[in-house]
Amino acid sequence: MSSGSPTLTRTGGPEPVLRVTGLSKTYATTVVRDVTLDIRPGRIHALLGGNGSGKSTLLKMIAGVVPADPGGTLTVQGRSYDSREYGAAGAAAGGLRFVHQDLGLVDPLSIAENFALASGYPRPLWVDDRALVADTTRELARHGLPFDARMPVGALRPSDRTRVAIARALRGADQTGLTLVLDEPTASLPLAEVTSLLNSLRALREAGHGIVFVTHRLGEVLAVADDVTILRDGAVAASGPVSDFDEQRILTEIAGHAPQRLVADTRDFAGEPVVLAVRDLSAGPLRGIDLDLHAGEIVGVAGLVGSGRSSMLRALFGDLPSQGEVHLHGRQLQIRSSADAVAAGIALVPEDRLREAAFPEFAIWENLSAASTKGFRRWYGLSARAARHAAPAIMRDFRVRAHSAVAALSSLSGGNQQKVILARWMQHSPSVLLLDEPTQGVDAVARDEIHRLVRRSVDAGATALVVSSDIEELEQLCHSVVVLQEGRVATRLRGHDVHSDTIIAAMQQAPHPAEPDPGM
Amino acid sequence: MTETLPPSTLAPTSTLPIPPEKQRRSIGATIEQYGLLILVVVMIVIFSVLPSSGPAFRSVLNVQTLVANQSVGLIVAIALLFPLAAGFFDFSVGAVASASCLVLAATTATYGWPLWLGILTALAFGLGIGAGLGWMVAYLQVNPFISTLGVATLLGGVIFAYTGGLQITSGIPEALPVIGSGSIGGIPIIAIVATVIAVIAWWLMSKTVFGRHLYAVGANPRATHLLGVDVRRVQLLSFVASSTTAAVAGILLLARQGAATSDSGMTMLFPALTAVLLGTIVIHVGRPSVPGTVIGLLFIAVLVSGLTLSGAPAWVGQVFNGAALLIAVAFARLARGSKAAARTV
Repeated sequence: MSSGSPTLTRTGGPEPVLRVTGLSKTYATTVVRDVTLDIRPGRIHALLGGNGSGKSTLLKMIAGVVPADPGGTLTVQGRSYDSREYGAAGAAAGGLRFVHQDLGLVDPLSIAENFALASGYPRPLWVDDRALVADTTRELARHGLPFDARMPVGALRPSDRTRVAIARALRGADQTGLTLVLDEPTASLPLAEVTSLLNSLRALREAGHGIVFVTHRLGEVLAVADDVTILRDGAVAASGPVSDFDEQRILTEIAGHAPQRLVADTRDFAGEPVVLAVRDLSAGPLRGIDLDLHAGEIVGVAGLVGSGRSSMLRALFGDLPSQGEVHLHGRQLQIRSSADAVAAGIALVPEDRLREAAFPEFAIWENLSAASTKGFRRWYGLSARAARHAAPAIMRDFRVRAHSAVAALSSLSGGNQQKVILARWMQHSPSVLLLDEPTQGVDAVARDEIHRLVRRSVDAGATALVVSSDIEELEQLCHSVVVLQEGRVATRLRGHDVHSDTIIAAMQQAPHPAEPDPGM
Repeated sequence: MTETLPPSTLAPTSTLPIPPEKQRRSIGATIEQYGLLILVVVMIVIFSVLPSSGPAFRSVLNVQTLVANQSVGLIVAIALLFPLAAGFFDFSVGAVASASCLVLAATTATYGWPLWLGILTALAFGLGIGAGLGWMVAYLQVNPFISTLGVATLLGGVIFAYTGGLQITSGIPEALPVIGSGSIGGIPIIAIVATVIAVIAWWLMSKTVFGRHLYAVGANPRATHLLGVDVRRVQLLSFVASSTTAAVAGILLLARQGAATSDSGMTMLFPALTAVLLGTIVIHVGRPSVPGTVIGLLFIAVLVSGLTLSGAPAWVGQVFNGAALLIAVAFARLARGSKAAARTV
């Protein structure tokens, strides 16, 4: 159903592969307003904007899934459509290919089956597995992917899954000058994987495709993009070559005002009381971790995948069997289950919000009150009304934007959902906050708000341990950063040493025995 | 530009569109929430005024019979609720009710135990079955669909083996038929008992920590675990609550029909399932609840009673039970779908 456009009117020059002119979309309100956009072959075009800026509606209109308001024009590979006559067929004929954030891969099935699910089996009534595998292997090879097409997709590394999804989107395409739309391809990838995926994107650019790249990570934009378009409130706030932009300007355009970023806090916490002391903790990949967390201190955890970052949080939360000693406020804890940890005042915000933290179909107030029944016990039991009535004040306090506390959690944007999960714990002032990738997939504005909430929370004498693949986040948020290597603390950076460059250098250094001194 | 903010202060945000504590509801949402209840009331009015069914339908005797007949069914349906809230179908509730009915009949009539001991034995039997099932599902991670169906089939076989297809009718303690068929001030005693149990179940499910944990486990067991809840214990207890409640239904069944039959109890399961699923489309859409189940049960009972009294043939009851089950499932699905659609806009 692809590659069906025999009339290539492309002139071969820098003519855009996709040109959008005056595109708008109005539901009850106008969500996309008069957007104009040029995607050129051989260039990576970053499309940026906060949650609700109209990005996803724009992408849906480009895909032909959502009809645009009359009056706009879409030009794909030189062929112009009025916005009323453009549809999914026009998008496919015009060489537009989409890879969505969830990739649309079925993990237990083989790569070949995943290809066939999207493009059809070669012989539908008597499936010829051999031909299917051969075809798929050829497609993979064209993209330099040396995988056995019979391998289940679930066995691939995260970035390879994305590459397979891209190869599938581009299948059967001999011509160059396709438009590949990637919706947050790096959102759930660890740092090392991101770098290798960005290299793949550069290769696709060299092959002459135009690439639309949606991301929340500004470092990636500056590293890989050629052009930048920023949407705000449905309209183009800024657009141009990447050389016109720096991080400060991008943030300003996304938010609509100069960002009030947290600045690195280089206070020394050595004199503060120790809240959490960890001695010789071993669990999963961890091999004897010693760690002190002081009152008011936010400690970041950096490390490559497999270095034991998440295991450390899980072990401290009793979710992973561990050996070693954990002292809270000087008292030794026996943490054998998450119930022990919660009772001791330890809170965990897990990485995978949907699977491990959210009750998506439950109302916001129910999600807020899920961690504790404090404040709504009555003589007859629990009062749902009291919990519901307490919710709006908590939502205001934690900057949750929602039209009502009885709305389902799933109706909120990712950033607001995350703030609900944080508020669930923080309203009870836990002594220790364990945060695993707290701002993953969250827009830049919400990210700053979440950072402020974490700071406010530890300010009352608590402490926080933050795992993040986002090195900038560690630099901005943390007072101190622990770098893990092969399950050990390789380095602890403090004060002015908490800096992206030093963190990355420490992460990539060859492993050596633990060394408490941060001097490098 | 980048000034150091005191870490404790969050910049006050002026535009936070959270309304005050009052939550206003639209008329559409109210109809969606109470549609089935409104339908029940409308049906009661129609069947009461229809010339063909009216006189019989609105008679005190019919109302008494209808309420008393539904009492056992209500308790069976409530038994289903606990595991359903925790995310499991329990197909064994009908069989446990039947088997408990037989346990009570056998201990009191055949072996001559006192009534109180027979009742305790029947309850302990239910509790034991629930503990076993819960242990299998929660700790051995056996598929609940298969294990509860297996227990139901097994109990059905044991019942048949013990009774040999015959009824136990003689020697049932006299107090039981009084509970089953007597009334106080015109209200059937069995309905009073059922109401008390329904209120306890409602309290357990909506006003206690256990109830909140039940629904949380049903929605996301992993997230619930990371809130410090012993998820397996909650799952186990949901089956214990279920089978114990089913045993209560069995005791009331013996009281109502005055005899223990060789019935495997599967005939009790499906009306209960229908009521519970119909109950998920009222009040709190998508969530099984005691009030919802009562409304669901009333809906079926009023409809079938009214149609029968209007002269409809006997198969109508079964057809409407099945149709209502399908409609309830489709309705719940649609309600969820519209929520999802609202989210993407």
